[in-house]
Amino acid sequence: MTPKGRIKLVSELLDLPLIDSEGKYCGIVDDVELTGRAGNSLKFRALLVGPGAWARRLPAWASWLVRITVGARVTRVPIDKIRTIGPAVRLKVPGRELGLHQSEDRAVRWIPRKGAL
Amino acid sequence: MNPLELTLGIMTAVGGFVDISELVFAARAGSTFGYALIWVFAFATIGIIIFAEMSGRVAAVAKQPVFNLMRHRLGLKLGLVTLAASVISNLITCAAEIGGVALILNYLTGAPYLLLAAGMTVLLIVSIWVLPFKWIERTYGLLGLFMIVFAVALVAIHPPWDQIALGLVPQVPSGLSTKELLTFGYFTVAILSAVMFPYEVYFYSSGGIEEGWTPKDLLTNRVTSIVGMGLGSLLAIAILASSAQLFGPANVDPEIPGSAALQAAIPFGKWGLILALLGMLFAVAGAAVETCLANAYSIAQYFGWMWGRRKKPWEAPRFTMSWIALFGLAFGIVLTGVDVMTLVEFAVLFSILVLPLTYLPLLLLAGDQKFMREHANGAVAKLLGWFYFGVITMAAVAALPLFFLTSGGNG
Repeated sequence: MTPKGRIKLVSELLDLPLIDSEGKYCGIVDDVELTGRAGNSLKFRALLVGPGAWARRLPAWASWLVRITVGARVTRVPIDKIRTIGPAVRLKVPGRELGLHQSEDRAVRWIPRKGAL
Repeated sequence: MNPLELTLGIMTAVGGFVDISELVFAARAGSTFGYALIWVFAFATIGIIIFAEMSGRVAAVAKQPVFNLMRHRLGLKLGLVTLAASVISNLITCAAEIGGVALILNYLTGAPYLLLAAGMTVLLIVSIWVLPFKWIERTYGLLGLFMIVFAVALVAIHPPWDQIALGLVPQVPSGLSTKELLTFGYFTVAILSAVMFPYEVYFYSSGGIEEGWTPKDLLTNRVTSIVGMGLGSLLAIAILASSAQLFGPANVDPEIPGSAALQAAIPFGKWGLILALLGMLFAVAGAAVETCLANAYSIAQYFGWMWGRRKKPWEAPRFTMSWIALFGLAFGIVLTGVDVMTLVEFAVLFSILVLPLTYLPLLLLAGDQKFMREHANGAVAKLLGWFYFGVITMAAVAALPLFFLTSGGNG
């Protein structure tokens, strides 16, 4: 399936893993951005990734808890950066180009780069 | 299919099958009810084989591990509940395994239990950090094959094979009092839980992804899960049967792992005991590694982080931090001074409570033609899968009442 094909957004796309052009996991489709109005046709514009996107789907107390513990960052992945949609959403570009690896980059500073065979 | 790889895979599955809960419940089941609970081990083994095969198939065909697709299939909220339940269950199990390893080392060396638990936690962390994925699997799995001494010991004590064979027939012993019947029910539920721990399936599925399985590996997946887990289960049945033969008539309740090791000491003396303890040590240490990694896999996959032990620790930093933190938390539980056997009881109890929730997404995924195409569950796999799902759901409902009514199987 390609991003221009007809897809049932909620059931087919939401919560799928994202894999970038380098084969790296770079988040989950936490929400989608649509344009248009109720009653008119809606257009799929982008995927939204990050705690700020998935926290909105939780009950208010849980959403608050997520915001104060892991923040409310949201990264936007425009539709034209998507290569295919299947068991995972595959991107045409490296995740870093879209700002998707920030948390991994922060975490890696704490990991010593030695010792592993 | 590479025969050497397949053989090693099977041997690893055999050596890694038995963990502290199976050890304890197999020995106690044999001494309390003779051979009457052998069928539960066989029944539960078929269950874990069915779900392990499904998880390996999902990994090979959809090329995504269970938790990556689980959130998509169950949705964010129910997925989060499943993740939390699974993490707590695996964490308690990991603590029980670390406590078990320390206890076995305490028998071997006489050093203080908590010091050994701390040392082993560090050693396990170092081994995961240093060793490549295949070595981690194989080191613990293959060294766990020392457990074969239990099967050899059973043959050496000339058990009544006809009674053992009859134990494979589903039964409830006649003439039991209500209290004994409840205890029998509790052991049935506990064995089902101990054999079907969800971490085994998550670890297996993620391992398949780490090894780059494709649909070409479906036969390897099927053979490894059926033969490896089937043979592994025979070790647990051997422990049960030896216990029925040696401990039952003497009214010994082998509550601690050290008692189970005596089964090999009786026919083979000191070396039998040492081999049994070494087998237990590596099998239980392997289970500690599996529970901890399975937890880290689940968390990383749920949130879409980079994951995998095939990568260097710094290539999947949040995954690395997770498994180190989880080992720390599990050791923290041991440090509270909770008795290992209490941890085993809690691990088994909590695991059966969350078992339906953790196996449901797998069942749905393996039957989903969108992801699995022609490899989706067929009629037989569907029937067996849903049948076992019904059984574990009933067991989950019965677990808490049985636990309280029997004081954790102590009558």
